[in-house]
Order: sequence, then C-alpha cells, then structure tokens
Amino acid sequence: MKKRGKQLLALLLCGVLFVGCGKSKGSKDNPTSTGSALFQGELERNVTIRVLENDTAIERGYFNELMNAFNEKYKEYGIVAVDANMDQYLDLANDGPYGYGPDILYQANDVLMKYVKGKHILPLPVESLDCYEQIPEVAWKAYQSEVDGKVYTCGVPVNVQATMLYYRKDMLPNDWDTTWDANKNSIPDMLENWSAMYRYSKEVHEADSKKYGYMVSLYDPYFSAGYLFSYGGYIFGQNNTDPKDIGLGAGDAYKGTMVLKQLARIMNEECIDDTIKRSAYTKLGDGTYFATVSTPDVYTTFLKELILTYEKDGLSNDEAKKKAEENLVITSLPKLPVNGDITQESNEFMETKSMGGINGYAISAYTNAPNACLAFVDFSTSYDMMMKRNEYLGIAPARNDAATAAGGLSAILYEKLASGNIVIMPSIQEVAQIWDPMNTFFSDLAKDAFRKEGEQKYITKESYQKGLDTVSKQINDAIFTLTTKE
Amino acid sequence: MRQKRSFIKTLDTVVTYIILISVALVFFFPCLWLILASFSKSGTIYSFDGFFPAEYSFDSFRLLFTDTALYNYPKWFLNTLFIASFSCILSTFLVILTAYTMSRFQFKARKPMMKTTLVLGMFPSFMGMIAVYLLMTQFNLINNHWGLILIYSAGAPMGYLTQKGFFDTIPTSIDEAARIDGANNFTVFRKINLPLSMPIIVYTALTSFTWPWSDFILPKLLLKEKNMYTVAEGLMSLGETEFARFAAGSIFIAVPIVILYFFLVKYMVNGMASGAVKG
Repeated sequence: MKKRGKQLLALLLCGVLFVGCGKSKGSKDNPTSTGSALFQGELERNVTIRVLENDTAIERGYFNELMNAFNEKYKEYGIVAVDANMDQYLDLANDGPYGYGPDILYQANDVLMKYVKGKHILPLPVESLDCYEQIPEVAWKAYQSEVDGKVYTCGVPVNVQATMLYYRKDMLPNDWDTTWDANKNSIPDMLENWSAMYRYSKEVHEADSKKYGYMVSLYDPYFSAGYLFSYGGYIFGQNNTDPKDIGLGAGDAYKGTMVLKQLARIMNEECIDDTIKRSAYTKLGDGTYFATVSTPDVYTTFLKELILTYEKDGLSNDEAKKKAEENLVITSLPKLPVNGDITQESNEFMETKSMGGINGYAISAYTNAPNACLAFVDFSTSYDMMMKRNEYLGIAPARNDAATAAGGLSAILYEKLASGNIVIMPSIQEVAQIWDPMNTFFSDLAKDAFRKEGEQKYITKESYQKGLDTVSKQINDAIFTLTTKE
Repeated sequence: MRQKRSFIKTLDTVVTYIILISVALVFFFPCLWLILASFSKSGTIYSFDGFFPAEYSFDSFRLLFTDTALYNYPKWFLNTLFIASFSCILSTFLVILTAYTMSRFQFKARKPMMKTTLVLGMFPSFMGMIAVYLLMTQFNLINNHWGLILIYSAGAPMGYLTQKGFFDTIPTSIDEAARIDGANNFTVFRKINLPLSMPIIVYTALTSFTWPWSDFILPKLLLKEKNMYTVAEGLMSLGETEFARFAAGSIFIAVPIVILYFFLVKYMVNGMASGAVKG
C-alpha cells in the first residue's frame, strides 16, 4: 500500500512537471528572422486593436479623432481601434507576454528599440507604407536593427523631438533693434548666438537679482549633450550603433563643456539638478526667466503659465491668451562660437547641434492582428493624419510633405534633422547605460561654476578632456564590465 | 514654599504644552501644507510664494471631478471604494473567525499554525509579488478588481493576533455558562462573544478598509488599464505640473475614512463600556 502511495506521488509530480511544458496562455511565438511573414496583407476581420498613444494626444482630443477616422474607414472589416487605456510608460516586456500589453505603441525611438532584442516588437514591411518615401533616411535609421547582416525596421517615425529655445518676446529690451542687433538682420543677437545670450543674461541678473536670462537644468544630458556633439563629440561610433566606441570626448568636445560651465555662471545653483526642468514652465511664465530650453511638445504647458500671469495682471482670459500666444516664442538654438568661449566677443559661429528623438509607432509581437495593426500605422502616418496631428499637438512631423506644408517650427525641425543638426538618441540597448554617468558629469561640471577659485576642478583644456574621458570610461564599464554577459 | 510649588506646577504645565504643541505641529504642518497646496491656483509647486501658494482657488477640486479625459478621478474613487468595501467585509469576517478559533478552540495543529503564521508574518508581503503576478495571470485576474479583493482578504487572517488577544480577555466562564444552558459553539460565538467584541470588530473593519484604500504596490502590479486604477495608482500617474490636483486628490481620499470612523466609533465605545461578568 505504502509503495503504491509512493508511485502515485511520483506520477503526480511528473504531471506537475509536464504542466510547465504547456504553451502559456496569451503568449505566441516571437518572430525570428523576419516579421514580414506575419504581414500577409490580408486584413484580419472583426478584431479590436488596442493602441497606446501618448497622454497629450489623448488629452487634446487628437487620438479620439484618429480612432474615429480609422474605425470609420475600416468598419467593413469589423476592425476597431480602441484606446489601450494604459500608462504611457508601460513595460511591454513584462505585460506583453501575458496578453496585457497594447497591440500598437507610440513611444520615442530609444524606448521602442529596447524591445527589439527580446523580440517584443515586430519588424515591419515599411516599404509598403504610404509614408515611406516621405520620411528621411536618418529617421528610419532610428528604428533599424541589424541581425545577421540583415537590416530590420521595427518602427515608423511620426514626429521629430529636439530641444528648442523658448523665450518671452515681451522681455526683450525695448530698444533691442538698435542695441542688440549688430548685424541688422532684425533678429535679436541673444537669439542668434550664445555669446550675446550670455551677455544679455548677465545684464538681466545684474539689473534685478531675482531675474535670470537663460536658465536650464545643465545636469540633463538631453539638454547638455548637444554642446559636445557640436564640437565633434558623439555617444557611440558608427552612427550610434557601436557601443565599443564611446566618443564623448572626441574632436573638440571639451569646448562644449567649457560653454556649459560658462552658461552655469549666468544661472543659479538650481542648474545643478532637475529643479529648473520642472519649474521652467512657471518661471518663464512669471517672468523670472527670459529663456529656457525644452521640447516642442510642452508648448501648451508654457503657454498655460503665461496666460495665468497675464490674467493676474488684470487681462481677461481671451486677452491673456492672445498676448501669451504672441509673446511665447519657440525657435532654434543660438549658434556657438567656434572657439568655445561665449564670454568673449566672437565673429565665427557655428550651428548648435541638439540631442533629439524620433517618436513613432511599433507593433507588439503579441498582437493577434498584425495586418490590422499595420493598417492602423499606415493610416495614422498618412499625410492627412500627420497634418491633423500637427494642428492638434503642434508636433513636427517626420514626413517631409507634412513638415513643409505645416511650415514654421515643423519645417525648422525637419531641416535640422535632415541636415544632421539633430543627433538622434541611439537606438541600441546599451543606451540605457549612458544616462547616469552623464548626469553625474554634467552635474559636477555645473557645480564647478559655483566652487571657490582654488577648488574648481575644470579649468584647463586637459581637465575638461579628463572629465570627458572619465565619463566615457564609466559608460564603457557600465556596458561591458558591470552588466551580465549573455 | 507654596509659591515655589505653584511656580513648579505652572512651569511643568507650560513645558508640557510646549512639547505637545511642538509635536502636534510636526504632525499637523505637512497636512496643513497639503491642504493649502490643494487650493493653489496655478497648479504647480513652483509658483508658491515661499512655502505656501501665492493664490488660492477651488480649480483643482473642480478639475478633479470634471476634467476626466486623461485622469478620471471619480472612476478611480469608485474603484477604490469597491475594492476597499469588499475587502473590508471579507477580511473582517475571516480575521474574526481565525482569531476566535485560535483563541477558543484547542486542537492539535493550533500551536504549530500559530508559530507558522507568526514567522510568515515577519516576511514583507511584497516578497511574493512576482509569484502573485504569475498566479493572477493564470487565474485571469489581472485588470480585475476581484483579484485585489481576493489577495487582500486572503492575506488578512495572517494578522489575527491582535484580535486573538482581545478574545483571550473575554472570560471563558461566560462560554461555559452558556453551554450549560444548551448553547452550541455557533450560538456562543454569535450571541455571547460577538456582541462583546464590537470594539475589535470595528477596529478590524477600519484597518481592513484603510489598507486597500491607500495601497499602491498591489494595484500597480495588477491593474494595467487606467479605468481600472485605484486612487493611489491614479494619483501617481499624474503629470509633473499637476501638483495641486494631486494634493486635492490626496485630501479627498481622506473623506470616506473620516466618515467611516465617525460612523463606527460609537460601536467601539459601546463595546468597551459593556460588561459581562458581574460582581
């Protein structure tokens, strides 16, 4: 009897072991070498696809418009696009395999491309999309991944994100056209080059110690790395694809760090951390700052704060809104002096490069309707929808025709992207290791401006270079020494 | 001599009050700051005039209930109320039964079970998060409020020791007297011990309600869709410029707990005042 009991127990245990061998619910085989096999071109019928859009698109009603238009067009197939109703920063790697992720995701290229290695998103037949010819190669590259010598595109670019200069037109000196327009081109000097911005910021602060000219969180690599790129620095070699080659200190990148430290001198110690990044909306609105740097997608947040200020001054809501729209201006970053010294007058200037990102759509590898998803991506990146997106959200379309038609800021961003003045964030997984060392370095650099004379770390060219070489080494260590090798 | 004693007494009173007021301020000040911040007109923390908002308005509270396109606070509130109410009912029932059993009945596994629960209770609950997530995916209880209710209720009896301590203080002689009069176990529990245990039942109900009401970790793990969020999870998802709305939401979630407290406090006092063994 006892023996039979043991046999029964052994059988049960075997059963338990075999249970683990079953195919888990909600999961499906990840695509291996190519995803195009899933995209047969024949639309799945009567399916619901869950789309994860960004919060601003939902808030301003664009997403609703997009879904309604798509659902109307594809109603004969019974395809319905719905709001995935999830946190915009969800983790597809955790939730996707269990069937709780969205079918389509809208995110920045570095966020989407981190899912490539785990095969959580599908390679797409992008050549078949309406937008293919209109999107520049540099934008497509942000979504490309090479496996066994074959290039796969895993996302579709929608809009370009890069740092831009926000300033208050009503805070320019009254006589700027005579005193701050040396080249008489009707553009204030402080918006044309960083040397003039430095001088004007000093003047503003000297006139009123509570006010500042240009203010930004220098510790943030997204805002500060562009200064290094402008003078020849880069993150990864081979167009940001080779993690073995870290080049933050390459070329004359040390000049970029010199500029950053000089900029810190016209700010206060809040530039050392992320305080300004969070408070800039309010401080630009209430006139504490003249200018700051941010991405175009937060324009309405700045505008809201400025409207509040004007309302406080006694204007009606309509008047305040009109005045705020007139006085809040976004423009491209001022130019940098070739010699890397913004404290001195200079005649030679060059374009400032900025770090940027390409937001786009990707399709989850766990979707049951890849063809319907592709139809949605195709529809939402069409010319009409991109124009509508621009109209609702003020974003800069990645499509050439839409950017040209929209003009203004969109055209500027598109041109900067195409000319290489926007350096797209690397899309390889190793990019996750760059932020902390860079944060620490930029924070230390900004802090240096507030140290006493004899205690400063960054004074000579060698000391700046040493700082950049150290941070490059730290990133290298984080990628190759500290991470687990697979 | 009498004057000196009077002076010392006055000094003692003054020092005691100073200490009490200082301690009260330490606890009260953050609450006051949050309340004032919730009435901030600009919405962000950075427009404050020093420590307090520069201008006040009810806009944050209005937005909390009207601007629901992205942050559906009323829905989150109802979700939390649903989860907390059912968890409260089920947890109270299970905890009281567990505690009563452990206090009143002698059985072979009683001591080992008490020791085991004591040891298991020492492990922080978030240790099992991954296991809980995997189990919930298998039971299809992700994005399901009943999944949370199940976990809260099932885990609640682990904390039965306080309730058992209360039952231990009720003399067993009452049970024996009732049994002599022909009462069975259920009658003894329902008609004798339960009315005497009102304070601990109310205490259990209140704590069982407040835990799910303010928990963040478990809802974050199990609720993926925004319209399923609880208040704690929803408030954490607010944008960085929405501080006044966050403060208003945080203030408003205290309302049901305060109502519940005032509704139930009389039962705590009544229960404590009632006696059983006379003489």
